[in-house]
Amino acid sequence: MTLDELKQKLDEANYIYDDTLATVLAVSLQLGRPLLIEGAAGVGKTEIAKVMASALGRDLVRLQCYEGLDESKALYEWNYQKQLLSIQVNMNSDDKDALTRSLFSDEYLLERPLLHSIRSEKPVVLLIDEIDKADEEFEAFLLELLSDMQVSIPEIGTIPAKTVPFVVLTSNRARPLSEALRRRCAYLYIPYPDLDKELAILRAKMPHLDDQLRLQVAKAVQSLRSNEAILKKPSIAETLDWAAALDALGVRELTPDAIRNTAGFLLKNTEDIECMHETGDADCGCGGHDHHNCGCGGHHHG
Amino acid sequence: MVEPGVYLEKLSWFSRLLREEGLTVGTQETIDAGKILVSLGFEDREQVKTALRTVYAKSREEQNLFDRVFDGFFLSEERMRQLAKEHLEQQQREQQIQEQAREDLEVNGKPMELTEEQRSIYMTMPEEAREKLRRFRETFQDTAERSPKLYDNFIKSVFVKTILEEQMRMEDAGLGCMAADPEIGILYRDISRFRDTEIPKAITIIQSISQQINGELSASRKHRGHSGKLDFRRTIRKGLETGGSFYRLHYKKKRHRKKHLVLLCDVSGSMMQFSEFALRFIQSLNHVSESSRAFVFSEELHEADAFSLQNMDLFRSSIRESGLYGKGTDLGSALEDLLNRQPAVLNRSTTLIILSDTKTVDQPRAIRALLEAKRQAGRVLILNPIPESKWPYLKSAQAFGAVCSMVSCSTLNALAAACRRLSDR
Repeated sequence: MTLDELKQKLDEANYIYDDTLATVLAVSLQLGRPLLIEGAAGVGKTEIAKVMASALGRDLVRLQCYEGLDESKALYEWNYQKQLLSIQVNMNSDDKDALTRSLFSDEYLLERPLLHSIRSEKPVVLLIDEIDKADEEFEAFLLELLSDMQVSIPEIGTIPAKTVPFVVLTSNRARPLSEALRRRCAYLYIPYPDLDKELAILRAKMPHLDDQLRLQVAKAVQSLRSNEAILKKPSIAETLDWAAALDALGVRELTPDAIRNTAGFLLKNTEDIECMHETGDADCGCGGHDHHNCGCGGHHHG
Repeated sequence: MVEPGVYLEKLSWFSRLLREEGLTVGTQETIDAGKILVSLGFEDREQVKTALRTVYAKSREEQNLFDRVFDGFFLSEERMRQLAKEHLEQQQREQQIQEQAREDLEVNGKPMELTEEQRSIYMTMPEEAREKLRRFRETFQDTAERSPKLYDNFIKSVFVKTILEEQMRMEDAGLGCMAADPEIGILYRDISRFRDTEIPKAITIIQSISQQINGELSASRKHRGHSGKLDFRRTIRKGLETGGSFYRLHYKKKRHRKKHLVLLCDVSGSMMQFSEFALRFIQSLNHVSESSRAFVFSEELHEADAFSLQNMDLFRSSIRESGLYGKGTDLGSALEDLLNRQPAVLNRSTTLIILSDTKTVDQPRAIRALLEAKRQAGRVLILNPIPESKWPYLKSAQAFGAVCSMVSCSTLNALAAACRRLSDR
């Protein structure tokens, strides 16, 4: 798929992107490399996998990582109960070897997301979400899949991929990932969006929102992100939640009351909310001087 | 349109350059980059840069390095001409400076014993700094006639010191551009450069990393080898789940022995912040140690109680009340005090961790005490907040590093790596 074709597909999926993102996705697709995406929580890492699934017309297979995740949850597991039942039923069979062989066949194999993604008849998009939450052993286990697109099951042998999935790995940088894993992937870092991109996202996701309110929301969020005292910076997801909350309350203009009532949608801990009220960061960001341009109406600056 | 062969050849040079800059670039990356260049061409420079960055750079830090190398390597024609002109002017300037430097770096008609690197650093120093050194020489010119050897040594020591300071400053500036990038994250920044507003975030990160390390250690312990003895009770009990078949045998685990940690923390002035972070980190690693005792020192030694370590304000006020704050560092005396305590603090099952930048008064005494501590304790480790690249300039770091293991912990990431090492043994 060429870059222009990909851009067209992303447009059709109603996804806001910049040239960097489109180029990285195109390169990753062209080389058939897994794509490792890093960035703060809520900047849209997981969304990329969903959009790519929709743009490429593929199913999305998702593996959510967590501490203690192992191959029985990620790759495959034998259906022990069914195997035992089969042994009981065929106990008197003459051909014991055939029975043993049959116990380790597809019939008793429970596919988990990784195996499913490479045995699928049609290529899929495989999302390995929050890989930094998984243990280092699991990372090492993924290497075979990521580099050779195959997995090894001791009882069966090596299973090569029927179709090659487009693999997206996401990480919040909670811990550094191994060099080996990084080397096998194309890399993308997503920063927080700038004002224009944030406005474009708001326009695409909430087209009915009042222009003035949209601008105020975007400016307020930008202002909060630049405040070093805020521990958990609001992400795009939180911006959308906040805008939706304001919209649901019928707010047309950002006032201190409206901010106070909806702050919980934007900031997720008490210290940050207090800090926002103290510094007045969630006003439109115009500092009270530039009302005409910011569209704030100027009334909440006292 | 440029022939693909031309820029593919350039690409191999570019890969080599990236490798020299510290990026792990293998043949696969070069092949991938080649494929990309053939398909994209070189018409849109920014697009090529993004595409190659995706292939070569595998982290945010590597992206910064890549951008720098790319911008220096793939130049537009106009920029190349401009650079050539600047280069010519620069060469002329350098020649003048070189001649002047040759004169400056002579004492009593003989050239000073300096390495080529030191000479080139002298040449890159600002004119004001060089002028200051020249004036300094002139001030002491009388001594040259009275005692040429003394003058010779003195002038040389001043020059070498200034050059070394300049070298460190240049390296700091190089690190600074990385540290200034807010996107790089607090994990990779020098702990001593944290702003006050960043401290709560750093503490949150410490909590999350220590939780992660605890998880990893606990998981690795689970996976660690068994003692070889069959655990009948668990095997039979688990067998019941699979209809009485002993589908999987269970073995008795090896008993895990945790360590006894003794932490000796330098809290004099600049070391305070680092010690507080490191203490908090190590104390929260409950899977590393069975028990730990923390001692703080500057000129004297005090034992820190668990209560005072609960939060930063409490820790700081307890240090101020103890009278340790703002004093000099005497590691030798602190270690001697620790070794003389009854009942003995150190024994073969303890790991002594010293949080110190190794800058101390009476270094020989400190080395003697450290050797004695090493004899008494099972293991001694120094966590040094000064980046490893600066150790060659510090005699104390070299002296202590020769006696026991020393790990650089200038960033939270390095501190986490050091804490992971604590579990190995």
